This record gives sequence, structure tokens and C-alpha cells, in this order.
Amino acid sequence: MLNVDKIRADFNILSQKGGKNPIYLDSACMSLKPKQVIEAMNDYYLNYPACAGRSSHKLGDKVTKKVKETRQLVAEFINAKNENEIIFTRNTTEGINLLANSFGLKKGDVILISDKEHNSNLIPWLVLRDTKGIVIKIIPSNEDGTFNLDNFSKLVSGVKLVSIVHTSNLDGVTNPAKEIIKIAHRNNVLVFLDTAQSIPHKKINVQDLDVDFLAFSGHKMFGPTGTGVFYGKSKLLEKLSSFMVGGDTVLSSTYTDYEFLPVPEKFEAGLQDYAGIIGFGEAVKYLSQFNFQDIAEHELKLNSYITKELQKIPQIKIIGPEDPKQRSGIIDFYIEGADMHKFAIMLDEMANICIRSGQHCVNSWFANKKIHNSARVSLFLYNTIEEAEMFVENLKKIIKIF
Amino acid sequence: MPCILALIIFSILGIFSASHRALAKEAFACVFKRITLRPCNTGFAEKIKGKILSKLLNRSVFVARVFNKYYELFSWVFFILMVGSTFWVLRGGYNFYVYGSCNGLNQSGFCAFDPAGENNKVTVVGDSSACGIVQKSEENLTLKDIDLSSFPAKNVGAKDVVFFIGCYACDYSRKAYPDIQKLVKNKQTNYIFAHYPAKGDTMFLGEIGYCVSKNYEDQYWDFNNYLFTADKDYVLNKTNANKILASFNFDVKKINQCANSSETKTAVQNQIQELNKTNLYGTPTIFINSKAFVGPKPYRVYQVPLNKFIFF
Repeated sequence: MLNVDKIRADFNILSQKGGKNPIYLDSACMSLKPKQVIEAMNDYYLNYPACAGRSSHKLGDKVTKKVKETRQLVAEFINAKNENEIIFTRNTTEGINLLANSFGLKKGDVILISDKEHNSNLIPWLVLRDTKGIVIKIIPSNEDGTFNLDNFSKLVSGVKLVSIVHTSNLDGVTNPAKEIIKIAHRNNVLVFLDTAQSIPHKKINVQDLDVDFLAFSGHKMFGPTGTGVFYGKSKLLEKLSSFMVGGDTVLSSTYTDYEFLPVPEKFEAGLQDYAGIIGFGEAVKYLSQFNFQDIAEHELKLNSYITKELQKIPQIKIIGPEDPKQRSGIIDFYIEGADMHKFAIMLDEMANICIRSGQHCVNSWFANKKIHNSARVSLFLYNTIEEAEMFVENLKKIIKIF
Repeated sequence: MPCILALIIFSILGIFSASHRALAKEAFACVFKRITLRPCNTGFAEKIKGKILSKLLNRSVFVARVFNKYYELFSWVFFILMVGSTFWVLRGGYNFYVYGSCNGLNQSGFCAFDPAGENNKVTVVGDSSACGIVQKSEENLTLKDIDLSSFPAKNVGAKDVVFFIGCYACDYSRKAYPDIQKLVKNKQTNYIFAHYPAKGDTMFLGEIGYCVSKNYEDQYWDFNNYLFTADKDYVLNKTNANKILASFNFDVKKINQCANSSETKTAVQNQIQELNKTNLYGTPTIFINSKAFVGPKPYRVYQVPLNKFIFF
């Protein structure tokens, strides 16, 4: 059972005395940051703002140690075999771009993606379609947005890579990753999993999933912006070609030759965001103190309340399955013919309620369904039932005028 | 329409505020798309609508619903009102520059640029106790069929004519006096002066002035200047009249005899009757080439009828 009051005390904007704290329901876009993360980053900047790896002084050693610690923490967090399977990136998008550009795809290679992919897991493949002539195949979801394993099974044969979202930021539906990977492997197909939305809410065990590649961002799991991780099985990472190269990626170089460092340094070009990585490590520690089952139960309780109340409003259509159990902490809804930006703006103006409106970087799905846009509520462990009630109450007020 | 409205409003507010400047840029992007026949998909219109609706919704659901339903209509109404009010503001600004009053020549309605109505204050003719703002139709003020030959004049024959009807005892006449002198000097106009005893017992000054003008024509304007610029209480005190005349080396006896003569009294009365025929209702009243200005106007106002163009 989560002690939400205690958790909220860790977040500055949720615990300001006297002021009107925002009701933050946009964690699928960006989670709030606990004080511990900010203090860790400040500590770096204030007390040891040096380079990792290259400088041999005490400050440099401390940074090197902290970065290594974070790599180990992340490896343990997702149960990677070793920390060298962890590559630091700026975000999930960079991880996917790394894979897309290093995987060695050739003309005619087939990539399989779902019909609800974030632009991050669509555009890199579309660009490769245009530049290299790869083929993209789309797995149609069920009517309610859940994953259709039959459709997937029919399409997976002969595919080079399955690149698929774990939990959709559109409707919160979590795809059956384990089954997908099993089927793909049976067909000798590798699988990449976009876990940006799932990792803050669900236990991810890469060995149990047997996933080949995986990426996620720090900013959705209490970490700083501009941090992320790309995971790959060691033997597969060795086979990937370099994506970004330069400083910190080579062991040595002459005017005519170079020798790359081993994985993971090979993929971490240039001076890294040390403050970010250290803050990210603190975020992993922070998230690790909670039981994911408790997080899921808390989010489900809030999601169930909001879903039940929204279902009473005839104009509102919820994207995805009706059952909140299948939608993680996300409630994405729209009203036929209405611009949902207006709702988000009004909730913000009226009651300081922050929700996301628009197409949530899944423009392709909206274009296909001919829906203008939607409003998305995304919950996390610091949200309360009172906040959910405030949201519903104010939304009902707004609905009255339409 | 809401974007155009927002662009104009935020552009004005943006002069003073950076946050409104950003909104003005957003509004401009929206307007630009519309005038290039593209849909305004910047979200700006919705943003503004949402902000307004949320404020209304916190007060009244009914008002918010009506506003939401007739948003476009309201936008048009506000746009028309804004165009109208902009026109009135510009008109007011023009009037203030040209006439010294937002409402037009000698109009005494409220003017934001002259909230106390200083430019229209007069000493009311016919009631010695009334000073301040009065509103009468300046259209009746006229120099038609008025014989000005009996009043002291200088620069006779000049193209432009300035006829100043003032009262030595009136603060507003005294206020206007220096600007009129400056105008006459700068523009070399024909200048005619008439004292109208609008306030207090100043008839004696009119009679003395009449006699000085007849007997000491060369020194009259200096004497007149003294009566307008010296301490008012001193000038208006009858017992000081001889001292003042003596200070100009006038023949005091001769002037007094002249002033007390029935001939002079009749002449001065005739002058006042002549002035009354102009329909003046207060002092100062200044006719510049037959156009009447009532009250002490800013100097630029007196210049306008003499300028080739309005501003220069």
C-alpha cells in the first residue's frame, strides 16, 4: 500500500504550503521529479562537476564511479545480464534511432510494427523505407485497441525485426510482450520493445521477457529530461555498427585509422550528460523502493473512478478498452467534433489541472481513425483520489456548456 | 475573427508587456494563415476561447454556455465595437490636438486628455459669480455685422486676424493672454483687443483703456499688457488706477476726465453692445479669422487655423 502523502512530500510542486498546487495528470508525458533526483544533480554540479572516464583526478574518478553505479543500478533494475548491456542515450527516440541506423537493414528487409506506435517508433523506419528501401508492415489491433496475436502471428514470418511498443501512450494498453517475443523468436525474428510508458509502472525483466533490444526514457520515471537507456543483449550489441561516433567511442586513432572501444562506450559518443545520468540513477533508486503491484493497484483505483464517471457522460468516448485494468494509468478520451485542446486549457485555467491534449505523437492512428484529437489523463503514484474527483467535477462543469 | 481581434488587442498590450507580445505573435500567425487562405491550425483561437470560457464558467454556467454558443457572433460584435471605439479614440485625439477638446471645438464633454476641462473653462458673461465649464453652442458665435473699428488694433492690414475678447479680472483670460501675444508676434497677425467686463467691477478699466488708446496709441499695448500681467488684486482696485496711469507717465487728470465723460461711457457701452452681438457666453473668446475659440486653449490650437496645414 502506497503512502501517497509521504510520496507527495518528495515533490516540490505537490507539497507547497499556502500555494495552489497543480493537479498533475500528465505523467505519461513527463513525470514530476522528486527532491532526491534534483539534489543528486545539484550535488554533481556543486561538488564534483568533472568528466568521467578521461580525467584521472579525484573528481573525475568520482564521476566515473557514479556513472558506473548508475549503469549497474539500471542493469539490476531491468535484470540485464551485465551493465555493459546498458547504453545511455538522451531518450527512447535516440535509442530507436540507434537501433534503426546500426542494425544493418538492407533493401527489402521487413520491419513489423503495431498500428499504435509513437512517432519515435514509426518515423525512423519510414525514413529507412525511403532511403534504403526497407518494408514496413503494420499489425492491426483489435477494435478495442488490444493487441491481436493472430494478426501478429500471420505477419511475423520473414520479418527482420519486430519493433513494438510495450504500453501504448495512446490508450494505456500493454501489449503481451512475452508472447510476442516467443512467437517472434520461434520465427527467428528479433524483437525491440519500446518500454517508455511501461517501465515507470511495471516490473520489466529483460531476461524473463527474453527481449533482444529495449529502450526507455528517464523523464517518465522520475529522472531528468535528456536521459534514457538503450538495452541490448551483449552478443547482439556486438554486432551492431556504430551510430554516432567521435570522442569517447574509440580506444585509439591515427590520421588514417581508429579502434573502437567495446560496448557500451562504442555507442556513447561525446561528453555525456553526467548530471543527468547521476540524477537518473537516483530516479531508479527512488522508483525501486516501491512495489510495482502497489503502483498498479493505486493507479487502477484512480483510473476506475475516472472511467466510471466518464462513462456516465454520453458525449465522451474513451479510446481503448472499457476496462480500466487494461489501460494502465491512462484515460484517453474525446468528444465527437470537439477540439479537446479547449478542454485541457479550461481545466488548467479553472482548477490548475494539467492534462495532455492533441494526438500524443501517435498522429498516424488519429489520421487512420479520422479523429481530430483527444484529451489524455495519465496517472502516477503521487496522484490522489481527491485529484481524480476534482478532475471529474471540473470536466463535468465544462461539458455542461457544450 | 477572434484572431484579428486578438491581434489588435494583444499588439497594443504587447507594447507594454512581453507576455502579451508573445500572444500577439501567435495571433499574427493565425491571421496570416487565414489571409493566405489556409486554416488557422495554430490552436490559438481555441486557447483564447478556452481561457475566456474558463473564467466565465467559474462565475456562471449559463453565461459560459451562451458565450460558447455564440462565440463567433460575440467576436464580431466586439470587433465592431472595437473598430467604433478606435474611431472615436482617434477622433478624440485629433480633436484634442486641433481644438483642445476631445469632443470638438469648444465642446465641454469629458475628455480623457483634459479630464478637468481646463481648455474650456470660461468666466460666464452675465453672471459675475460663475466661472468654469459651460456648454453653449459655439455655432452662434459670429463676427458677422460686428463693427470692430472702435477697438484698439495693431498690424492692421495683415492677412490673418486675431480678435481677443478678454476680461482683466478673469483668470482664464489671463491664462490665454500670453499665448495670444505669442501667436500675434509669431504670425504677425492683425490683432484686435476688446475688454469685456465679465467679472467684478471692471468697467472702469474698460473706460480707462478706451481713453489710453485714444490719447496714447503708441503706449496702449504696453498698458494693456500691464493690466493682464500685473497682480490682479492691485489692478482691479480702483484706488490704484491713478498710480498705474502715472507709472506710464500718462496725464492722469486728462485720462480721468476722458474716462468719466459721457462720451466715453457711451462709446464703451456701444462697444459692449457690439460684443454682445457676437453671442459670446464667456471670456476669453478669441476669434481667429472668424473662427471662435472659447476658453484658454493650448498654444497649438490657436496656431492650427493659421497654419498652412493642420500640424505645420
